[in-house]
Amino acid sequence: MAERMLGIQYSTLAQERETVTLGMWAFLATEVLFFGALIAAYLNYRIWFGAEFIAAAKMTKVVLGTINTAVLLTSSACMAMAVSTRDGGGRRAPVLWLIATALLGLMFIVIKGYEYSLEYQEQLVPALNFDVARHGGVAEIFFMFYFCATGLHALHLLIGICLVSWLAFAIGTDRLRPGSTTRLIGLYWHFVDIVWIFLFPLIYLAGRNG
Amino acid sequence: MSGRLILRCWLALVVLLALTTASAFVPLGSANLFISLGIAFAKALIVLLFFMELKTSAALVRVFAAAGFFWLMIMIALTSADYTHRTDQPVPLDRTAG
Repeated sequence: MAERMLGIQYSTLAQERETVTLGMWAFLATEVLFFGALIAAYLNYRIWFGAEFIAAAKMTKVVLGTINTAVLLTSSACMAMAVSTRDGGGRRAPVLWLIATALLGLMFIVIKGYEYSLEYQEQLVPALNFDVARHGGVAEIFFMFYFCATGLHALHLLIGICLVSWLAFAIGTDRLRPGSTTRLIGLYWHFVDIVWIFLFPLIYLAGRNG
Repeated sequence: MSGRLILRCWLALVVLLALTTASAFVPLGSANLFISLGIAFAKALIVLLFFMELKTSAALVRVFAAAGFFWLMIMIALTSADYTHRTDQPVPLDRTAG
């Protein structure tokens, strides 16, 4: 029984856990550079354009951004609870925590979509309807960064929501053998949270007191 | 990881979020950026150490986690070294050519 639960290339569950964890972190390191390039671009725009760039950041919706940060931080705590209760061997508790995680992720996407619609109305979307005469060219560069960064983040979150929903289904219907799957998807989810932790002050908090 | 520890981490994260948002509205010049980034690092550390379990992970896993951050610092440092040393002076040709 114990042998059947394990991947063929592993000799113990502990070895499997160590190997897949390391693989996940190697993938996350490449993701750090992926989002890191955007953040490096932001920092240099900010040095290069100074006050004009910061003034553009003031047009983002700080209340919605703060609510969304709280939503995402809470979803990460739910994910951690799912991993913790799954370790305890339960099925019902991790499924409920995973559903909570996915719903909070979905809530983030809905709020983000509402934010995008407000920005569309204010003609702040580059390539679609950006009003350069009204907002200025530097603001267009800021919003180009804004939509690239938050869009790619939202895409990662959508993938996370799919993974978490599948996981809840697989655990709920007992199709998942004991192992590290929950923990791995948890690592991915927390990583997406960390990306937002850095995007939030750069996008929403710049220029709030000027 | 116990439920109690997760709850404490979540509370710390929410308090730090409130702090960083509040601090953004206090005029402190360029210190604002450093405070908000400092708090972002504190929040990221809580997530990394506890939610992502780096605190109890094998040394090799921690090295992998640190490596991503290390390469990121190289990328940001070298890119910034370039941009901060460029000058924005247009050459005379630019002014006459148009």
